Amino acid sequence: MLNKIVEALNGRSDLSGWTVRHLRSRGAQVYAVPGQIESQRLVNVEQYRIDVLCQTSDPEGKPAVGSGDITVLPGEDIKAAVEKAVLTAGLVANPVHTLPAPAPLPDVPLLDADLQKDPSAVTKDMMEHIQAAASKNRGIHLTAAECFGEIHTTHLINSRGIDAEQDATQIHVEFVLHGRRGENDVETFTEMDRRRVADFRLQDEIEQRTRHTLDLFETAAPPSWQGPVVLRNEVLATFIAGDNLQGSVLQTLGSAGSKYAKISPWEIGKSIFRSDVKGDPLTVWANRCMPFGTASNRFDEEGLPAQRVELIHGNELAAFAANQCYADYLNLPATGAFGGVELPPGQTAASALLAEPYVEIIQFSWFNPDTITGDFATEIRLGYLVQNGKRKPFRGGQLVGNYLDALADVRWSAETGFFGSYLGPHTARFNDLKIVA
Amino acid sequence: MTDLKLPSAMAELRPALGKIVTQSQEQLPYFAALLSSKHGLQISVDNREERVVERPPSAGTVLSAFDGRTIYERAVSGFDPGEVQRAARELVQGKSFEPYAPAAESEPQRSGDFTISMQIDPAELSIREKLDRCRELHRRTKSRDPRIVNVQVRYIEAGEHAVFASRHADLAQHLQRLNLFLVVIVAGEDGQVKYDWRSKSGEAGWEILEFTDEEIQHLVDSAVALLGADRIEPGEYQVITAPGVSGIICHESFGHGVETDMFLKQRARAAHFIDRSVGSPLVNIFDDPSQPGGFGSYFFDDEGRLAAPTQIVEEGLFRRGITDLYSATALKIPRSANGRRQDYSRKAYARMSNTYFGAGTSSLDEMLAQVDDGIYLDKWSSGMEDPQGWGIQVTCHYGHEIRGGKITNRLFAPIGISGYVPDVLQSVTAVGREWRLEAGNCGKGHKEVVPVASGGPHLLLKARLG
Repeated sequence: MLNKIVEALNGRSDLSGWTVRHLRSRGAQVYAVPGQIESQRLVNVEQYRIDVLCQTSDPEGKPAVGSGDITVLPGEDIKAAVEKAVLTAGLVANPVHTLPAPAPLPDVPLLDADLQKDPSAVTKDMMEHIQAAASKNRGIHLTAAECFGEIHTTHLINSRGIDAEQDATQIHVEFVLHGRRGENDVETFTEMDRRRVADFRLQDEIEQRTRHTLDLFETAAPPSWQGPVVLRNEVLATFIAGDNLQGSVLQTLGSAGSKYAKISPWEIGKSIFRSDVKGDPLTVWANRCMPFGTASNRFDEEGLPAQRVELIHGNELAAFAANQCYADYLNLPATGAFGGVELPPGQTAASALLAEPYVEIIQFSWFNPDTITGDFATEIRLGYLVQNGKRKPFRGGQLVGNYLDALADVRWSAETGFFGSYLGPHTARFNDLKIVA
Repeated sequence: MTDLKLPSAMAELRPALGKIVTQSQEQLPYFAALLSSKHGLQISVDNREERVVERPPSAGTVLSAFDGRTIYERAVSGFDPGEVQRAARELVQGKSFEPYAPAAESEPQRSGDFTISMQIDPAELSIREKLDRCRELHRRTKSRDPRIVNVQVRYIEAGEHAVFASRHADLAQHLQRLNLFLVVIVAGEDGQVKYDWRSKSGEAGWEILEFTDEEIQHLVDSAVALLGADRIEPGEYQVITAPGVSGIICHESFGHGVETDMFLKQRARAAHFIDRSVGSPLVNIFDDPSQPGGFGSYFFDDEGRLAAPTQIVEEGLFRRGITDLYSATALKIPRSANGRRQDYSRKAYARMSNTYFGAGTSSLDEMLAQVDDGIYLDKWSSGMEDPQGWGIQVTCHYGHEIRGGKITNRLFAPIGISGYVPDVLQSVTAVGREWRLEAGNCGKGHKEVVPVASGGPHLLLKARLG
């Protein structure tokens, strides 16, 4: 069917460009509740996404371009679908832009070979592993778990000659550890996405989460605090790279689309900060080449090859992440989709970042800063006040501040870790953040 | 029979479902088929470009087999009869199912084709007409203040067709949700960027999407005012919540917190509070998928249950939760019509539809007169559930100072609401009579997004703000 779509698109003389993607995925899903498997699912998805560009003209008669898109399912009417996309494209008059041309594609590792062979077996094994690891802990038990394993295949062809294919695997795991003492119930909720099983370290994760869950029995009221706040591992990764529901401030303000829309005040060659930098200088890569990164790929939705783009160098914006359209509009290099976030190792040993006193936050309800202003006020599910040699757990209260101000006064650990969409220091000490009780 | 304008492949497969269900049911205590097609359009117009894009569609078939312990499902793309029959065979072949433990109530026989009522059906408007309407709204807004750097108009049209077939049900529905966002982005002299938005939305036609000049000017004024907003001094405040903010509090507390799959997973504190006090006697909370025009409305859920309201909290007492098939069966409790899927590729969970506080009797002026020093929380931007800990995380885009019973021009942004749910609900001392729903998208944790609405009246309460 892909060939027929390409034939149909090549047969039209009114198009200035087109892209078609054949998207297939297959996967297995397992859901557990206490004592049993709630649901087992096998899922197959297949569709063709077509994007077309047509020459149009703006209200003043200048050359312009319109874009239209359509999704076709196997067996559906190709000609009618293309016609609909073209009609839509004819309505719009944007500044002229191009499509990507063929270019060498990097070899980015994206596959878990076992998952590719048998997603049902891998998800079942992972679920059993989670259940076994959780059952070792007295006083805490697993009350819910989900495991998805998917294989995504993309074949992209465009009118400029790109013809590229990629396979990628994706695993989503979430689990709830629960404890009860008398009428006091506590829980921790964990979710993680990776491309391969080997990157999960489930045993360690469950042991650590078990300790956190037990500590929730001992929590005190939140402190009123202004001073050092430490974030580590997954919670730091979410702070830096955002989550499934919301991208990060770096992604929003570092994108050429935001610059073109005048949402981002950032300018290349200028500091991204609105105040003096008191902490370590900030360097950030937008990286689609990160091996097994959940936001990595060999090529993006337009066919642009994966790159490791230095977005911020020494506090100054070095580049915007730009798809082909906004690259053309702003006369920038086309870097493609943002990808994951990579930071260089810091200069300080992680142990030195834990100088007392400080607050460590283990889990937020949802760290969701305003991605345009950077302001946040986010509830704390579990934190520790560490002082005088004691580590006292607390829950509640809000971390209040501004994302960029926080990054302007932070020290990064020399030790790094990989967390799916973030690669970089695994510990950060924000020197002056505020917690309101 | 109502013409639902089902996609042709779905309409062709529908008559064959009875046979597939009957054949599969021979080996199974419970078997159901759901055909689901979601499709839509998004138009965006701003100062620099326009986009008309298809919303990523999903169209597929879910076959479900349930033995009382585990739900086994096969989900396949599209509606090809041969493919669906093959998937049904594979689903039941070689499996030995446990005896089905029936739900606490028997399945009623039900059938029908349902569609929403619209005055201006978007299907009757061309894409050009819709684009022109967006352009016109953009034109009316963009030059109202020199500090405006961009105005974004975003129109989202989401259509949904579903067919559900089981031994007891033969149902079909067409839903149409519309959303029109107007976003005003302003920049201050120091380069800082602020924004505000207003949306019109519902399960209806274009008739609900009109913006008045007064509404547009109010939006521009509030965006500009945000350039001078302060951060609030953290502490406990007397608060009046606007209906949308009331709604998000309701949604995150006794919405997510009473989804009964969370009871089964021992994740919901509410499970221990049935018929116990969780709020002031002024507090009534409902979930109602049959609410006309509600963004979260439907005629039947993804497990074939006909929509009907559920009273969750009655005069401060928690009465019951909202269910999906699995948790209702496992917990042996009556079902409600809240089994919903993100799309055919995901399982059904107990999910909210339109969740809201019931209206009271006070006017806003009467409520303001009771506040000497407090905050009027105008607009929410996000929330997150905590069904086990009953903590609240709601972020408001901004709120206004209340002084001497009047809302002043002093603005605080953003404002986080935190606290313990029962404390907040027990503190409610007045409930407004003006009532409305606001549209939203709701995730289960950080995924499984479904359209919902939440709302209610103004509430006068105490809360910690920061």
